[in-house]
Order: sequence, then structure tokens, then C-alpha cells
Amino acid sequence: MWSVIIDHIPNWKIWMQGFAAMFIAMAFYITHKKLFAWGKQGTLRTSKQDQNKEQQQLSGNFDTDVVAIKERIGSNSDVNFRDFRISIRSSKALLVFVEGMQDEEIISKQVMQVLMDNSVPKTEGYAIQNDAQAFSTYIKEKILPVCKVREVSEIGELVEFILLGFNALLIDGMSNALLVGEPKPKVRSINEPTSEALLRGPRVGFTEVLSENTALLRQHGRTEELQLTMVEVGNRIKSNIVIAYMKEIVNPELLKEVEDRISNINHDFIAESGYIEQLIEDNWLSPFQQVQNTERPDRVINAMLEGKVGILLDGTPFALIVPVTFSMLLQSPEDYYERWLPSSLLRMLRFFVAFLALMTPAVYISFISFHPGLIPTELTITIIETRQGVPFPSIIEVLILEISIEILREAGIRLPKPIGPAMGIVGGLIIGDAAVQAGIVSPILVITVAVTAISSFAIPIYSAGITLRMLRFVGMIFAAMMGMFGTILFFLIICIHMSKLKSFGVPYVTPHSPYRLSDWKDLFIRVPVSLMKQRPKMMKTKDDKRK
Amino acid sequence: MFTRSDDKITSSQATVFLTNSILGAGILTLPRVLTNAAETPDVWLSLIIGGCIIFCLIIVMVKLSQQFPGKTVFQYAGSIAGRFLAIFPCLLLIVYFIVIAGFEIRVLAEVTLFFLLEGTPMWAVLIPFIWVSVYLITGGINVISRLFQLILPISLLVLLVSYLMSLRIFEIDNLRPVLGDGLMPVFQGIKSTVLVFSGIEVTMLLVGYMESPKQAVKAMIAGVSIPLIIYLITVVIVIGGMSTDAIMRSTWPTIDLLRSFEVSGLFFERLEFPFLVIWMTQLFCNFSCYFYSASLGISQLFKLRLRVVIFALIPLIYISALIPTRMNEVFEVGDFIGWTGLAMFLLIPLPLSIIWLIRRKGMKINV
Repeated sequence: MWSVIIDHIPNWKIWMQGFAAMFIAMAFYITHKKLFAWGKQGTLRTSKQDQNKEQQQLSGNFDTDVVAIKERIGSNSDVNFRDFRISIRSSKALLVFVEGMQDEEIISKQVMQVLMDNSVPKTEGYAIQNDAQAFSTYIKEKILPVCKVREVSEIGELVEFILLGFNALLIDGMSNALLVGEPKPKVRSINEPTSEALLRGPRVGFTEVLSENTALLRQHGRTEELQLTMVEVGNRIKSNIVIAYMKEIVNPELLKEVEDRISNINHDFIAESGYIEQLIEDNWLSPFQQVQNTERPDRVINAMLEGKVGILLDGTPFALIVPVTFSMLLQSPEDYYERWLPSSLLRMLRFFVAFLALMTPAVYISFISFHPGLIPTELTITIIETRQGVPFPSIIEVLILEISIEILREAGIRLPKPIGPAMGIVGGLIIGDAAVQAGIVSPILVITVAVTAISSFAIPIYSAGITLRMLRFVGMIFAAMMGMFGTILFFLIICIHMSKLKSFGVPYVTPHSPYRLSDWKDLFIRVPVSLMKQRPKMMKTKDDKRK
Repeated sequence: MFTRSDDKITSSQATVFLTNSILGAGILTLPRVLTNAAETPDVWLSLIIGGCIIFCLIIVMVKLSQQFPGKTVFQYAGSIAGRFLAIFPCLLLIVYFIVIAGFEIRVLAEVTLFFLLEGTPMWAVLIPFIWVSVYLITGGINVISRLFQLILPISLLVLLVSYLMSLRIFEIDNLRPVLGDGLMPVFQGIKSTVLVFSGIEVTMLLVGYMESPKQAVKAMIAGVSIPLIIYLITVVIVIGGMSTDAIMRSTWPTIDLLRSFEVSGLFFERLEFPFLVIWMTQLFCNFSCYFYSASLGISQLFKLRLRVVIFALIPLIYISALIPTRMNEVFEVGDFIGWTGLAMFLLIPLPLSIIWLIRRKGMKINV
């Protein structure tokens, strides 16, 4: 009895291995936790910034105010000061504006011309001579034919407005400055979105101007339910963010979470919506994106109708959609515009393509290096024959070709348009062929790598394609170490990671899991539009019927 | 509620969880174990009868757990039988889970080393596998069930396709004559079938985590039915394809069946390859189930933090996997697990139910 037990007590080596396994796992876990917290601290606003700069009111004395303003921004070469006298009371007046930011014709014709014109409208009812307030009311109500006029009384605020592109008008005898004339942002014409081109569907993409983008949304979504709320972010340089959602549909808790995260953004300047994406995402260590970006207004509208929230930033054509799930990354708006049969087939093709982009090189390596016996004998013989001259193990072989494809892709973006395609041909065809001829890689591998590369571009969202391309290299390393077993482990790790990941509280793998069968109508198969009567369950919308 | 912070699972998740905790190493060995015990092709009958017995056991466990909504067996055992009395069966249950976990990965390592990675040291297979599992179960029961739901449909699909393809060597004569040896061998097979379902004790944990415990009976019965059907198909297909004599000589009859014919027109030559891939992911789920259950038990029984327990269990499970030195011993451990599973039922849910009934109905005490 005892001898059996003693016989079976494992030797010290196994004990050591067991405890080493534990300590390594713990070290990994602690490092990950520390790293995660370290990255998160940058996104959280610890204390509200001190925002009360000294408030300085306009004094009402024309000369001192002008000096005060000039002191602040007068040294800028692009800030223009135009002195003139207005015809009423022939008071001194000053127009301050930044060159190039507004329509100069409007200023000349509708502000200066009117003010300097001698045919003054009647001043009855306005005590313009003694009361400064009445004077400015008179100017606003009777004289200036501009649709947007605002009064500003604080110098700091006034200066800010001037720099934003407003025209400031100061008149002697008026206590406040008037803002006349809006900034006229530089608008690019509306083009077809380059990153999400469609064969069928609107050819409208967002532009860099926020007001244009919100107007596009209003144009497409003509309902009073569409709510656009403006928020300012950025500590040093302010940018405007618009949070867009459908009032009657969006889940209020989701909306609150989005608003909270945006108000927590602590950064001096938000240059592109990518900044917002990185500052509000759930898990910064994940290779998967947790916020979707798009250039298409129709995509944003559709997402809002499903209960999602759109985020638009001034200065970029890329809007953000939250929350996002993995299945959304494989969907294209075209799926809904085409009839259901081709769309469903394309959907399934994309799932397959995503799998190919992720796993093909890993499977190739494990077959070639570890289990040639599992593939058909004729194929094995062909592969071995073609690989005879190749002096590298399969992992190096694959890496050579994969990395050169990545280099080509990166170079292709930088190259000027006329050279790009030529470079693609040189790189893809000639180098590939020459590499085979030179015996560096085997022809089967060229096929494998080409299929993988094309697959990764077939994914409708570019950044999702990047994720899969990145992970594929990890898969290759796993496969090179442990063959098929390593590949399975790699696949499991990806699945586990996606199961763990959440985007704004929605599990990343919904609706694959937990099963929401009613959401499966829009997953592998896109059922006919007439059958899509319900909004996705996973978004927990207020109103779940599509009426 | 939009963002869920509670650890509750839906009924379908509970079903899949239970399915994954049963569907493990048995797929490969079940035909041999059954045929060895009964020595007749009628073992599929034993499987059906055994399944019915399991249904009864499940119902007892669910009914007991339903009395304590939101609690697992480790929490309510104490309030039924008193903390002192309850702690020993609970500890036994935990050890039982650890032994199963060790057994599962040992079988995995044996199969992997035999079919895929010859000459690799065993630790190189075991330790990464345990690590990946740790990564999974630190996420809690929600993450675990989400992963299971991702994987189970793929597994079922590949399993069924593999079986369908093997119909070409299926011979109905191998299953005949039905009841040729009478009913006795069928009854002898029953005990082995019950062993295959070891792991149903997980039910007593799952019900506590269910969103709507009222549907627990349905969910758990479904959770046993899926593996029962898969096992049934496995046994019928393997016996039909190989005949009882061949099965008794083979270590992994299901793989041997799939190796015995070739499919053309695919990138792999034999179906053993996709089958092994699926079986390994399935075993991963299976292993994670027990790993999680064991660590959950310890953490609830001794009020420790779950993550600490998980890390502390790594060496224990690793060592328990390596205790059997030879393949035969591994299978002995498998048999032993089956028997202990039955003993577990007699030791935990049965006495607990009886004590609970006595205290509730006989003494009118609210527990």
C-alpha cells in the first residue's frame, strides 16, 4: 500500500515545474494588471483643471478696451484691426477679425457699408445718446443685416471668439462688443469616402467640418428623434464633439456611459477622432478595436437606429460608433442595400475570410514543420519537392514573405498614386517569382501568403483588417513552437480574449454568444428587410420594434 | 440594466456549460469502455438506460439547489448540515474536481504526444494548456460560458460531419443481433455509462448562477441530453464501423475509426485531423470547467479570493495530472473517477436532500 503511494509521488522535477508554472502565471497576471492600470491613468481626469483665468470685463471706454485687446492679440500678424467711424453720432468703431476665416464680402457690404452709410434709420424709441445698452440694441435691431449677432462683455471670451474666426465690432459708447459674422470654415467638397467605398449606396462621406457633418446627418435622418449634443473637449486647444443618438431608442445607461467617458477625457488637444477612440476605449491592451470608425453618414444613421451612439469630432471626416461587437466589423452597409441572398453569402464569406487572414500561415507552418502526414500524400510530395532548395525552416520562410508583403503594403500607401500600382506589380509578382526562382521560398507558400494578404483586405473595416494581420504573426510563432497544438491554443486565446472583451458594457462576441437567436437574423445570414422587425436585443434599446 | 456587473448566466449558457463539463475525454474512450464491460454490441441500450438514471440524479440535484437561489453547493451545504459536517463532503468534491481536471489534461497530453507532437516533453503540452485555461477562468463564469457558447456549435458541427463521413464503412451487421445475449450484459454496461457522465456535480454550482433558476430543470436536462445524444451517436457509429472485437483491442477506438478511411478532395487526408482539433478544444472547455469548479469551491468554502485560489491550484493540477505513470494507470484513474462520481452523489446531494426534507417537513424549521 505505502510502497504504491511512495512509488507514485512525483519526483522533485515535476514539483519544480508545477510551481514554476504557477509563479510565471502570477508574474504575467501581475504585470498585466499593473500595465493595464498604468495605461488607464492617463485617460482619467484626476482633478478638474483650474479654468478660471482672471476675468476682465470690457470697460465701456473705447480706447482702453482697444488697447486691452491689442495687448492680448495685437502682435499676431493675421489679426486685423480696422478703424473707422460710423455715421450715427460719428462714433469711433473698430472691427477685429482674423484674416481668411470669414467672408470678407459680407463684412464689407453688410457691416461696414451699412454702418458708414449716411441714410440712418430712424432712432425714435431708442435713447441712443445717453444709454449704452439702448444704443447697442438699436444697432442690432435696426442697422445690422446679419443673421447672427452676439454680445460679449468679457475680454478673454471676446479674444477667444475673434481667434475662432468671429468678427468683433466695438463702437465707442457701447458697453459690449458685438460679434457679427460667423467664421466661414474651409469646406472641402463632399467626396466619396475613400476608406469605405461601396458599389451600391450613397456616395457621400463626411468632411472635416463638424457643422457640415451634422447637417449631413440631419439630411439623412429627418426625424425629431435625432438628438445632437455638443460637448467641448481638450484642455489647451478646444475642439467640439457632437454626440448623436436617437432619443427614443438609445439606452439611457449607455448614453450616460458615453457622456461620462467623454467628459473624462483629459488631453490638451484632440486632433482626430482616433484620440477619442483611444481615450474612451475599455481595454487599451487589446489588439481589437472597441470603437468603430466610419466616414459614412448612412452607417452612422443605421447604427443610431440600432440603438448605438455616434460621436463626431470637428476637424476629421471619421465619426465613431459605440459600442461595437466583432460581428459589426465584418458587416458592410452594402449588405443591406443589396438583396438578401447575395448579402448573406457575402457575410458568410467574410467570416471565412477573417478566419483565413488569421490562421492560414499558422496552419501552413504546422502542416509543413510538424504534421506533413495529415495532408494528402501527393500534396506532401509536391510541397517537399518544391521546398527542397529552401534552406530555412518554414517559420523563417513564412516570415520573410509575410514581412515583405507588409513592407509593400506600407510603401504602397506612401507612394504617389501613379507609381503605386506599378510598385504593387513589381513587388508582388516579380519579387515573389524571383524569390521562388532563387530558392528562398516555396511556390506553395507564395500562394498561402497571397491568399492571406488578400483576405485581410477583404474585411470591410480597414482597422479590423490590421488587427487580424497583426495577430497572424502571433499565430505563426505559436505554430512554429508547437504545431497544430500551438495553433489550437492560439485560436483559443483569441476566442477567450474576445469573450473577455467588452465595448461599453456589451460583450464583444455578442450575438454569437450569449445566444440571442433573434439577433442571428443579422449575423451569418442577413434575412430580408421585411423580416427585420426588431432592433438588436444586445443593445437593450428603449423601443425594440422597428416601426 | 445595460452594463452587467452581476455574475449570472442565462439558461442557454447553463445548458452549454453542463454539456461542456460532460463532453470530454469520453468521446474517445467510451466505445471501448462500454464494450469491454458488456461485450455485446447492445451497449447503446445501456447508454440510454444509463442516461435515464442520470436524468433522475440531475433532477434531485437541481431540486435541491433550487431551494437556495443564488447559492452554490459549497455555500448551502453548511446551512443544511452544519458547517462542520458539510466541510468534508465539500472538500471531497473539490478534490474530485481536481482529480478529473488532472485526468482530462493527462489524456489530452497522451493523445497529443501520440498523434501530433511525438517526442515533445509532457510538460511542454500541459503547462501552456493550463496557462490558457487560467487566462479563461480568471474572467469568471460569464466569460467561461461565452467562450463555451462560441466553441460548442463548431464542435458539434465537426463531430457530426466526421461521423456522417464515416457512415461509408458503417455496417449494420456489426450492431446485430439486438439483445442476442439477453438483457444481462446490457445491465452490466449501465454502470460504465454512468461513469461517463461524471462531472454532473457541476449542476449544483450552476443552478446558483442562473438568471432564472426556475428554468433550471429544463436547462440541465438539455445540458445532459446533448452529450447523451453525442455519446449515443459515437457508440453506434464506432461499433457499426469497427465491430466489437476491434474496439476492444484499440486504445482510442473513435480515432482509429476515423483513421481507417481516407477522404479525397480536401486539404487533409483523413478526418482524424479536424476531429482531433475539435476534440482538443472540447477537452479544453471540459478541463476549464473542473478547474473553475474546484477553485470556486475552495474560494467559497474558505472565503479566499478566487484568483489567488486559481493560481495556487496550478501546481496541484499539474502534479495530479502526472501522478499516473503509465497509460493503464491513467485509465484506472478514469474508472476510479467514475466510481467516485457515483459516491459523490451518494455523499452530497442525497444526504443533503434527506436532511433538508427532514428539517423542513419533519421539524418545520426554515433553513
